[in-house]
Amino acid sequence: MPSAKLGLVRAGRNSAIDRSFTLQTFIAHPIPWPDNAAALRAKVRELIAGHPAPADPAYRANSWCVPDPTFSRKLGAAGLIGMIWPKAYGGHERSSLERYVVLEELLAAGAPVGAHWMADRQHGGMLLRYGTEEERQRWIPGMARGEIYSCIGLSEPNAGSDLASVRTTARRRGDRWVIDGQKVWTTGAHFAHVMIALVRSEEGSERGVGLSQFVIPMDAPGVTIKPIIDLTGGHDFNEVFFDSVELPETALVGEEGQGWRQATAELSLERSGPERYLSSTSLLLELIRHVGPNASAEVCSLIGRLTADLWTLRMMSASVAARLAAGQDPALEATIVKDLGNSFEQAMPTLVQAAIDLDMADPAPIARILNHLLQVSPSFSLRGGTSEILKGIIARGLGLR
Amino acid sequence: MSEQQKMLSDMVDSLFAELGSSAAVIDAWDRIEELGLPSLLVAEVQGGFGGSWDDARVVFRLAGYHALSLPVVEAVIANLIASPHGAEGRGTIASASEGRFADGHFTGVVKGAVASEGASFIVAPSLDGGALVLRTADGLRQARETLSGEARDVWMFDGAPAKHSKVDLFRLGAFARVAQISGALDGALSLSVDYVNERKQFGRPLAKFQAVQQNLATFAGEAAAANCAAVGAAQGLGRGAGGFEVASAKLRANRAAGTGAAIAHQVHGAIGFTNEYCLHRLTRKLWTWRSEFGGDSFWSAYLGKQVLERGADLFWADLTARTD
Repeated sequence: MPSAKLGLVRAGRNSAIDRSFTLQTFIAHPIPWPDNAAALRAKVRELIAGHPAPADPAYRANSWCVPDPTFSRKLGAAGLIGMIWPKAYGGHERSSLERYVVLEELLAAGAPVGAHWMADRQHGGMLLRYGTEEERQRWIPGMARGEIYSCIGLSEPNAGSDLASVRTTARRRGDRWVIDGQKVWTTGAHFAHVMIALVRSEEGSERGVGLSQFVIPMDAPGVTIKPIIDLTGGHDFNEVFFDSVELPETALVGEEGQGWRQATAELSLERSGPERYLSSTSLLLELIRHVGPNASAEVCSLIGRLTADLWTLRMMSASVAARLAAGQDPALEATIVKDLGNSFEQAMPTLVQAAIDLDMADPAPIARILNHLLQVSPSFSLRGGTSEILKGIIARGLGLR
Repeated sequence: MSEQQKMLSDMVDSLFAELGSSAAVIDAWDRIEELGLPSLLVAEVQGGFGGSWDDARVVFRLAGYHALSLPVVEAVIANLIASPHGAEGRGTIASASEGRFADGHFTGVVKGAVASEGASFIVAPSLDGGALVLRTADGLRQARETLSGEARDVWMFDGAPAKHSKVDLFRLGAFARVAQISGALDGALSLSVDYVNERKQFGRPLAKFQAVQQNLATFAGEAAAANCAAVGAAQGLGRGAGGFEVASAKLRANRAAGTGAAIAHQVHGAIGFTNEYCLHRLTRKLWTWRSEFGGDSFWSAYLGKQVLERGADLFWADLTARTD
């Protein structure tokens, strides 16, 4: 037996590693895939097949950023939104892994799920956990039906990666809260009904102290939305301005002053899903279709490598989902999956472009999808936490910070 | 991890940590036999441990983690294949064979036999995708070593009696290397983290430099990917043939091995390049394992061909059907 059972004592040079416990970076959780997974997949696939696809195949490479309220309502009617929420609020009380199966099916097919994505992913659950009864009743049933959409109120002009620098304020005025300030890079603010915003509720507070979260109806007087057009000409982002926006006391989400803790937990959910590695799946599928069974050895090999990466990331992502489902907080693992997933989906367009000859103006799906991904993929390692921030979190997990 | 697996893991962890990267077969093999480790995968009715593929992954991973010099991994696989054929004594595996097998006899060459000096039998991949079990007493050994000093012998057989097994040794060998890579990466990461916390330059530990932090975060991601790939490959073998899963896992682990070893050396600076310091015991194994039982070109062609034959419309359905 090693002499030192505790601590990091090096016993000698025989073993390469004489640390007396073995380090393991990622505990792969056995994934208890639901028994009804195949049936759930069949249901989702049928729904997608029956929904008319937009003319431009590029939309498939943008799945969770494409709002399609008609499709969201269909999913809601089929019980596929708010799957894990209580029935009392219009949810379906299914397991998290059943929900995971539905999500990966939707994303792999490139279905247009952008309208309800944030509500289903984080805001419905947040309101259930922290929201007042009034706000829950007001928003959650509509979210579950695929009719009410939400947006994320985190980033500000001077609070991007440095989120603790938020300056939008909430001040009490009688029995009301008054919001002033600005959010930016707000995806879907132009079609969302509600925002959950992180704001500074304690005057003079700094960093993570004195922050609170509020539910802000997007049609409240004093809310102004301005589009930000991205480099493809697309409109996902917005600036959102708050000019003396009055909210009732019930709009406070959770405890006053606990916003930072709540928002970081929210980020954990935001970062852990399968959308962090599946964004470029449609390109892999189109590549397989485009080159056919007699592809060159080079392309065949590329497809093999991409398949191996995708398979591994699916294992990792589902493993995180299984740990979340078991009530654990695999924040570090989720961060690793997002970072690796983003690298994978971001690298794929360049690899595919190098492997095949393409007319970039060809209207064929492979060219349209590749073009689209080449342009939007820089955002993959920015949205939801930059790769630098993620690596900083991982480094902290390793004990380097 | 089940209680039983936890006990196995703790026991093996202690033993491998003690034996480390320099124990010799002649001195220490008894310790391995005492625990019954070589029959880890042999069925209980045959007197084995009756371990699962995931039990094997755990043991192989720890062998990688401690850069174990003893051919335990190879013995476990050799016994799984050869024990139904009544083989006894220490067995090992090889990575290739060339020649002719007919009427229970083999004439030809076996290559890449791991630590085969003193072994009783060798299991080698056969050309039909199965395996051949050969007695070392019937062959001639030509000693060969990798550049990193790992014994990978060549054996010549002329009409030697051989048993044939349908078990795909090449696939199992790849699985073993994936699990070892996953462990060796965690081992090298552990060394790297300790080193950058201790070593100071410019008045502060290397760990406090953001460039170093970001490199090690990348390393941790690669180690995590290799570990998950190993778990997935074990599950794949448990559910069926596991060809797709092992291929995917070996490809992914190979890449992780390259990135991880490079960063481990980068953050160690010159000390990591010395014979005295232990890092090379891990990294040189990583570089060797990357080629063994199928390198990138082999498995990417295998996987790519399989995917292209099935076509785009079945890609996702096939992938999910493997776990549902």
